[in-house]
Formats: sequence, structure tokens, C-alpha cells
Amino acid sequence: MTITLTHYLVLSAILFTIGLAGVIRRKNLLMLFFATEIMLNAANIAFVSISSFINDLSGQMFALFIIAIAASEVAVGLGLLILIYKKYGTLDLDKLSTMRG
Amino acid sequence: MEKYLYIALFAPFVSSLFSALFAQQKKMQFVGIVAPILIGISLMSSLLLLSHVHESGEAVRANLMDWIVVGDMNITFGFAVDQVTAVMMVVVTTVSTVVHIYSNYYMDHDISFNRFFSYLSAFVFSMMILVMSDNFLGLFIGWEGVGVCSWLLIGFWYHKKDESKDVNPSVSPSWAANEAFIVNRIADLGMLVGIFLIYWNLGTLTYTEVFAQLGTLDHTLLVWIGITLFIGAMGKSAQFPLHTWLTDAMEGPTPVSALIHAATMVTAGVYLVIRANPLYSQIPEVSYGIALLGTFVAIFAASMALVNRDLKRIVAYSTLSQLGYMFAAAGLGAYWIALFHLAAHAFFKALLFLGAGNVMHAMHDELDIFKMGGLKKKMFWSFLMMGLASLALAGIYPLAGFFSKDAILEAAFNEHTYGIWFVLWLTAGLTAFYSFRQVFIVFLGDERYHEIGAHPHEAKPYALWAMSVLAVLAVIFGWFREDFMEFITKFLPAYEMSEHTHHMVWILTIVTTAIAVTGILVAFFKYSKKLNRSEKTENSFAYKLLYNQYYIPHFYEKAITKPYAELSEIAWQELDMKVVDATVDGIAKTIESSGDVSRRAQDGNLSSYLKWMTAGFVLITIIAVISVVIK
Amino acid sequence: MSNILTVLIFFPLIAAIFGFMVNQKSIRVYGITVAAAEFLLSLWLWASFDSTNPGMQFVEQLSLIPQFGISYYLGVDGISLFIVIMSTLMTLIGIIALSVKDDIKNMIITLLFLEVAMIGVFVSLDVILFYVFWEFSLVPMLYVIGAWGGNLRLYASIKFFIYTFAGSLVMLIGMLYMAFIYHSTTGVWSFSLTDWYSLILPFDVQKYLFLAFFLGFAIKVPMFPFHTWLPYAHGQAPTVGSVILAAVLLKMGTYGFVRFSLPLFPDASVAYILPVGIIAVIMIIYTAMIAYAQKDIKQVIAYSSISHMGVIVLGTFAMNTEGIAGSVFLMLSHGIVSGALFLLVGVIYDRKHTKIMSEFGGLAKSMPNFAVVFGVMTMAAVGLPLTIGFIGEYLSLAGFFKVSPTLTVLGGTSIILGAAYMLKALKNTFFGPITNPENENLPDLDAKELTALIPLVAIVIWLGIYPKPVLGPIDTTTKALVQMMHNKAQTKEAKATILVSKPKKEAK
Repeated sequence: MTITLTHYLVLSAILFTIGLAGVIRRKNLLMLFFATEIMLNAANIAFVSISSFINDLSGQMFALFIIAIAASEVAVGLGLLILIYKKYGTLDLDKLSTMRG
Repeated sequence: MEKYLYIALFAPFVSSLFSALFAQQKKMQFVGIVAPILIGISLMSSLLLLSHVHESGEAVRANLMDWIVVGDMNITFGFAVDQVTAVMMVVVTTVSTVVHIYSNYYMDHDISFNRFFSYLSAFVFSMMILVMSDNFLGLFIGWEGVGVCSWLLIGFWYHKKDESKDVNPSVSPSWAANEAFIVNRIADLGMLVGIFLIYWNLGTLTYTEVFAQLGTLDHTLLVWIGITLFIGAMGKSAQFPLHTWLTDAMEGPTPVSALIHAATMVTAGVYLVIRANPLYSQIPEVSYGIALLGTFVAIFAASMALVNRDLKRIVAYSTLSQLGYMFAAAGLGAYWIALFHLAAHAFFKALLFLGAGNVMHAMHDELDIFKMGGLKKKMFWSFLMMGLASLALAGIYPLAGFFSKDAILEAAFNEHTYGIWFVLWLTAGLTAFYSFRQVFIVFLGDERYHEIGAHPHEAKPYALWAMSVLAVLAVIFGWFREDFMEFITKFLPAYEMSEHTHHMVWILTIVTTAIAVTGILVAFFKYSKKLNRSEKTENSFAYKLLYNQYYIPHFYEKAITKPYAELSEIAWQELDMKVVDATVDGIAKTIESSGDVSRRAQDGNLSSYLKWMTAGFVLITIIAVISVVIK
Repeated sequence: MSNILTVLIFFPLIAAIFGFMVNQKSIRVYGITVAAAEFLLSLWLWASFDSTNPGMQFVEQLSLIPQFGISYYLGVDGISLFIVIMSTLMTLIGIIALSVKDDIKNMIITLLFLEVAMIGVFVSLDVILFYVFWEFSLVPMLYVIGAWGGNLRLYASIKFFIYTFAGSLVMLIGMLYMAFIYHSTTGVWSFSLTDWYSLILPFDVQKYLFLAFFLGFAIKVPMFPFHTWLPYAHGQAPTVGSVILAAVLLKMGTYGFVRFSLPLFPDASVAYILPVGIIAVIMIIYTAMIAYAQKDIKQVIAYSSISHMGVIVLGTFAMNTEGIAGSVFLMLSHGIVSGALFLLVGVIYDRKHTKIMSEFGGLAKSMPNFAVVFGVMTMAAVGLPLTIGFIGEYLSLAGFFKVSPTLTVLGGTSIILGAAYMLKALKNTFFGPITNPENENLPDLDAKELTALIPLVAIVIWLGIYPKPVLGPIDTTTKALVQMMHNKAQTKEAKATILVSKPKKEAK
């Protein structure tokens, strides 16, 4: 059995869905971060596989960009998370609803 | 001659303004002297104009200035004094002068003496505009003007409080005044519509131009114009069913009743029909309707006068009844006879009212004739003059009423409308009866006034002298019937009696006089010795029906006034507040509450925001997919 | 002075800004002086007005946003001239009679701002400029009601603002669409009203645009069933607020009909005569009945305003010179008469702090001058000939009679119902015995009140007897307006209904 583009895209979709479910369901901010990372990686897989499929390097280049941005985002995000934790003593989203309208 | 025209017109105006200057001060005798003099000047000018018109046979015309000039509408303050106007002017100013002089006596002790003269002169001014204008809108100015003056004068004693209808049938002066104004307004709307019809179809409102072009209009239109104008006349002349205000108007001071509600203003409707005779002679069916209505009102009003106990209301009913006669004559085409009766009636009816004023003064404003009696001893001259006026009213030879009323009956006979003739003939008998019932109850019989502690006294001599002018006119005016006819038929269509009628004249006269005399005799035997009252009659249905004016005021109260007030209340409370306004507020509230609901979406929880975001993303994706698929 | 209109608009504005620097004590004198100067300026405008010229005069044009054809474009004609004069007059009278106790400085400054807005609305010939002034007029009025009003003042002022604002927005959309059509037909952008006049629109487009404009104007008039903001506004507003509201602000709606709806959409206007006429008749009868039921004398006059505005609307949609000129004249006469009536109610409110009629009765005895002035104004309100009220009412009804006799007769009941509620109010307030001993020694009109009222009485009688100086220019302009509508009309029905007057010579 050869691994075709479809398999990669299915994997990407599954990962994306897992990430999305995490984003929706998780209440802990840290876990939300992990979930978004999974979604980003789902996108990366799709980019790379399609790029290889159509023989265009732009997609792989994009994936590299995304990895770089994700890394810096995690750096800034985790810093903020630590601050939030220091200030409120929790990372539970239900307890952080100060912007209620 | 134009000069005299303006003097006749504006002298009452000056008088009104002059009196108005002192309106809020206490009585000033010179106001009561200046006002009659100015009205007298108006009378002199009117007489000069009359003689000028008589000699030259031409109308005097004057144009003061433009009034409303818009589009094709060009209305000026134009005045024309022709034969009809001249007669009206003389009648109006004569009675006015007498009433002004008399008011000095009647209003002597009133705080608002000066104000009274101001209103009274303003009325004369409005009446002069009414009769002198040469176009329909000018007539309308006067028409409304007399309405307002009548409103002011009926409600002159505005400080009296409202009573229930059982205590005082006209509730209060200010109530009666409002009633008069509003009822007249109903009719005025009719008149306005008539004016609009004339304007849009003929493009002018000037009498001469309008009447010259009448032939160009089709018959239906003429009928409509005739009907709408007559509706206006019905209000001012208090014809059924707009008649109730006239008797309530008796709340005003008696000189007012004499001048406005007997001699002049109420005859304005008759004047309008006479003035518009070229119109009405082209629409015989409407004219016949007018004659029928007039006849009906004549007997209808007379029947109510039979049982009434109120001194002034009896005279008011008789006015109503006589107005019916005038309309009957005008409706039958006998315009000059209507005008003749109008003039004669003005003299003797004003006299009758002024006499009633003397009695009221003597009785300390008591109006119930059953509480009077035997006043002849104390008030001989008043008795004499009221007697004379009543004789004239009853149509006894050789007084004025005989000549004018007789002519109307002859005309009715001549037109072969025997029904009308019979009813009018019968009414003549009723008229004689109720007028002398009043005279005999008040002046003859036992002196019942002691019971209410009155000390009757005769009126002041100058008041009696003023009245004597009217008394003389009430006696001699009828003698000039031929001259009057010759003069007036230069303008109004002549009315020729047929040969047949000529033969019958003697018989008719005798028959008419017979019923009048019978009426007087019945009244004499019943009331001259003492007041004959029988419980049985007074409790009978017919008596009560008549005494309560056929329950028409009650009906109006129940069917119009009250439901209107209730409906207004519903329109306000239920409809405007609970439906219209509630809808508006409802829309505002819906928007507000929808905002309140959607506000909850913003709960500050990042997790739920993400859910919303996902949902939105999914939704958009689905829409995108669907739109791709559909394409 | 060729830029008199600019002066008229900006003089009160500058004076109002300077007003902040005037101290509390002299602010009344300052306000009266400014308003009087403004009034004299408007009289000067009248004096130098050429009444034989039906077109726009004193025109000023200055391009503001040339890309979109928006300009500062002013002008007056016979229709707007007298409304401008009435605005300055009523502002002057309002300031003279001002009886507000606290914060009088802010009140006077607000009134001057209001005056700017009112004059701006009536002299603007650029639609965007018109719209700006139109909306700007809401702000000072909101403040007047909201700051000096009665207990429900916030509710009333917000209702007034949002209601009229909502209508105006629909109108704005109509205006923008109109400009878009102008651009797509001619290729240039223009918001100039005189440019728009030359545009002949297809009938279908006219219908929608007419409705959009109609909503904005109808709420302002206010026409049934959009009228319910008015009783609240009047009920809560201080006297001067009611005076300006009734006298001038309501007239913006009917002025809008004459200035926009009729000349821009003649075919649609003719097509909508029947529905508009029916609404107007409902409005006349229905509000007259409500006025009859009122216990509060100010509400009687508030509802009577609506009823009279119905007659004005009838006259406007008469589509002939008589009716339209009559309705313009009635706008003036209603402004003066209702303004005066509100002033008179203010007089009694200042003394008794109540407006409920049952508290009064017999006032004619204790306050005779007051009763006389009230009586004159009542008579003018019920349309007595030889007062100012008759001419406009008569002409409006006469004009509409040509279009629909039936509706005119129904609308004509206003002379009956009007008499009924006004006389009832008069009787309850002034006649009968004095039942409340407090009323026995009420002081009569004082010098300040007489100064405010006597000019109005004089105008009511003067223009009732000799309306020519005012009616003449109105007539000239209206004739040209009707002629233009007739030329623009496309449908056969509209051609037949819009009735052009004969030239003067032929008519004689």
C-alpha cells in the first residue's frame, strides 16, 4: 500500500479536529496552547504534503514560517501564562471571566 | 354715496372699539351714550343709502381693499348696497339703536356695563358686514362674526355655574354660548362647502358674477350648491334639527335676545336664501324642501311654545316659528314677502323681547310666568306694548304682522300647496293663543308675584320711549306693503298672485283672522281671570312631550354629546395610549430586550468565545460549500 | 449685504459662543438683544426681498466637497422667507417671555443654537447641508426638554430624539439614493436641490423615494400614527420649548413636503394623494377627539397642533396654488397661534404650577387681560375670519376640495371639532364661578408677558385682515412651484391633477 496525498490530508484533518476539540473543550489555558499547537501542526502537514504533491516549494517554506512563528508565539504566550498564574493563581478559564458584558 | 356706506359700516365698529377701551372698568355712563349715538349715525347713513337706492334704483358699490389673492382666487372687501341690503341695513340699525338705548336701562346695575356695549356694537358691525358684502366670503366673515358676538353675548354672565338640565334647561350661560357656537359651526361647514363648490365651478365668489353664470352649471351641481348653502342658513336661523341652541341662547341678557336672537342674526339665514334667489329659483325641488321645512318648523316651534312657562323661551319659540314662515315664503318663491315679514317681525319681536325685559327687571329676573300675574296695574305701558307686539305677531288687522303673514298664507294658497297653507293657517291660531296666553298670564289675573316677594315697577321712561319707536313701527309698517313691494321688486323677482287667488283673498283673510281671533279668545277665557292649571293636562303625555321639547335636547345629549365625550376618552386612553403609543414603545422595548439577550453572549469566558468562533467558522464553511455546490 | 443668509445663520452661533462669557445677571438682556437683532435682520431680508421674483434669492454658493458636489448653498424664496422670519420672531418672543428660574444662561445659549439650526434648515438648498441642520436641531431641543422638563423629561426627550432621528435616517438613505440616481443620469455628483429639481425620475423610483422622504417628514409633522412623541414632548417641555417646538420645529416636516416631496416627485405625490389625504383626515378627527378628552390644558393645545397640522398636510397635497399657498400660510398662522397659546398656558403654569383644567374655572374674573388674549388666540385657532387662522385653513380646505370633496368635508369637521375642544377648554378654565379660592387673587399678565403677547395679538389680527404682504410672495413662488410640477409630471393623472393658475391678466 502506498501512502498517497489523501492519507496525509486525512491525518491533517484528524489532527486539526483533535486540536479544535481541545480548543473548545479544554478549560486550562496551557492545554489550550497545546491544542492550538496541534492545529498548527495539522496545517503544516497539509502544507508540506500538498507542496510535495504539486512540486512547489512555497508550501514547505510556509510550513517553516509557521514553525518559527509558533515557536515565538509559545515563548510570548507562556510568559503571559506565567504572569496570569502569578496574578490569579489559576489557569482555569471559567475563573478568569473578568470581561463579562 | 360711498362715504355713507363706510360710515354706516364703520360707525358700529368705532362704537365697539370705544367701549372696549373701558371694558374692564366699572360702569361709565358716557359709554352708554356714545354707543347709541354712533349706532344712530349708522342708522342715518343707512336711511340715506336707502333713499338713494330708492331714487336711483342703482346699487352703491365700494371696494375697500384686497383680502385673499391667491392663485385664481381674488377676494376683496367689496360692499354693495342694493335694495335688499338697504332694507336689511335699516332694519338692523333701527333695532340696534333702540336696543342700545334700552340697554342703558337694562344693564344699569351690571358691573360689565361697558363691556356689554362693546360686544353689542361689535355684533352690529358684524351684521353690517354680513348684509353689505358683495361676495360669499365677505358674507361668511359677517356670518362667523355674528356667531362670535352671539357667543360672547350669550355667555355674557360667564360667572354663573353649570346646573343640571332639570334646574336650568340651558345649563349655564357659557354652556349655552358654546352650544350655539358649535351648532352654528356645523352649519358653517355646509356653507363653506357651498362656497368651495361655487369657487371651483365658477371661479368667482362675487354675487353678481356668480348669479350671472349660474346657467352654465348643470342641475345636479346647482342642487348641491343650493343644499349646502341652505345648511348654512339652517344653523344661523336655527331650523330643525339645528334649533336647540336658540332657546338655550335665552341665557343671554334680554336686549341681546331682542337684537340677536329675534330681530337680526337669526334672520341671516333667510337673508341668504333671499340673496341667492337666482339660484333657488332654478332649483324648485330644493326650494320646495325649504318651504316644507319652514312650515314644519313653524308648527313644531309653535307647539312647544303652547306649554312653556319661561317668559323668554316662549318668545324664542315664536321667533323660531316665524322664521319657519319666512323660509316657507322664500321657498315658495315669494322672496319679497319673506323679506317683508323679516322686517315686520324684527320690529314687533324686538319689542316683545324688550317688554319681556321690563317684566324680568320688575320681577327680579324671575322667568316663570306662573309666578307673575296682574302686572298690568304696575306696568301699564309695558303691558300695552307687549300687547301690541303680540297682536302684531298674531296677525291682527291693521298691525304689521297682519300684512306680512297674510301675504305668506296667500302665497302658499296661490302655489296650490294647500298642505303648507293649512299648516301655516293652523300655526297662526296657535301663535295667537300662546302669545296671548303669555300676555294674559303675566299681566292679568291674580297677583301671584307677592308669593316670591317681588315689588314690580315700571321701566324708566327713556326705555319706554325707545321701545315706542318699535311699537309705532309694529303698528304702521304693514301699511307700506305696496310701496315696499314696488321698491324691492326692482331687485327681487316680483311675485304675482293668480286671478283665482285674487278672488279668494277676502275669504282667506277672513279665515286667517278668524283663527287668530279664536286663539286670542281661548287664551282670554282661560287665563285672563286667574291661572287655570289642571294636573291632568300637565301630566298627560302630550304636555310632557311638548314641555320637554319633544325630548330632542335629551336625545342630543344622549346620542351625540355624551357618546362623543366617551368616544374621545376611549380614543385617548384605549387607542392612543394603549395601541398607538404602546406599539411605538413596544418597538423600542423589543430592540432593547433583544440587545439584552444578545448581551449574554459576551460572558467573559474565553472558552465560550472560542466555541462561538468555531460555530461561526463552521457556519461560514457550510455556507461556502453550499454556495459552491449550488453553482 | 449679499451674504445676509450666512449672517443670519452664523450671527446667533457666534453670539451663543460669546454668551458663555456673559455673566448670569446680564444674560437675559444679552439674549433679548441678540434675538432682536436677528429678528431685525430677518425683517431686513423681507424688506429687500423681491416679491415678484418666484425663484431663489440671496443665493450663496461655496463648494465644500467638490468630489461629491456638496456645497454650502443657501437661498430663500417666498415659501421659506416667512418661515425664517417666524423662527426669529418666535425665538425672540420665547426669550422675552422666558420664565425658567435656574440655569437661565444655558437656556438662552441653547435657544440661540436652536435658532441657528432652524434658520439653517429653512435656507439650505444643499441637501447635505439641509440634513445637517435638520439633525442638529434635535440636539438643543433634546437639551431643553431633558434639562428643564417635568418629571418624565428623560423619557420624553429620548423618545423625541430617537423617534424623529429614526425617521430622518430613512430620509437620509432616500437622499443618498437620489444623489446616486443623479450621478448615474448626469454623470456628475450633486446634492444641490435646484439641480435635483431639473431631474425627471421614472415613476417607480419616485414612489420609493417619496416614501423614504415621507417617513422622515411625517414623523416630524407629526402625522398619525407617528404622533405619539409630541404629547410627551409638549407635556414635559418648559414653556419656551413648547413654543419653539410647536411654532417652528413641526413646520420642518410640512416645509419638507413642499420643498422636497412635491417638486421632486410630482407623479408619486399625485399617486399618493388618497392615502396621504386619508391619513390627514384621520389625524384631524382622531386627535381633535383626543384633545376633547384631555384634562390638562397644555395637552389640549398639543393635540390641537396635530389636528391643525393635518389641515396643513391636506392643503399641501391639494396640488394647486390655492391649497399649497394656503398650507404655507397656515404653517405661519399655526406657528404664531399655537406658540401664543403655549405661552399663555405657561403664564398660568407659572402662577399655579398645574395645568389641570379642573383646578381653574372663573379665571376671566381674576385675570381679565389674560382671558382676552386667550380668547383672541382661541378664536384664531378655531379659524375665525379676520384672524390669521381663517385664511390658511380656508385656502387649504378650498384647495383640497378640488382634489377630493369627500375628504375635504371630513377634514372640514376640524372647524366643528376644533371649536368643541377649544371652547370646552376655554369654558373650563375661564368661565363659571371661581371654585378654588386660590384663584381669586391671581395676578393678571405682567409687563414681561404683555410684551411677549401683544405683538402676537397684533400679528394675528393684522394678517387676518390684510394678509397680502405675506400671501403675495407666497403666491408668486407657489405658482412657479405648481407650474414646475406640472411641467415635470409624466403620468396623465398627475398632469390633470396639478392645476396651474391662470396668468394674472387673464384672471382679471
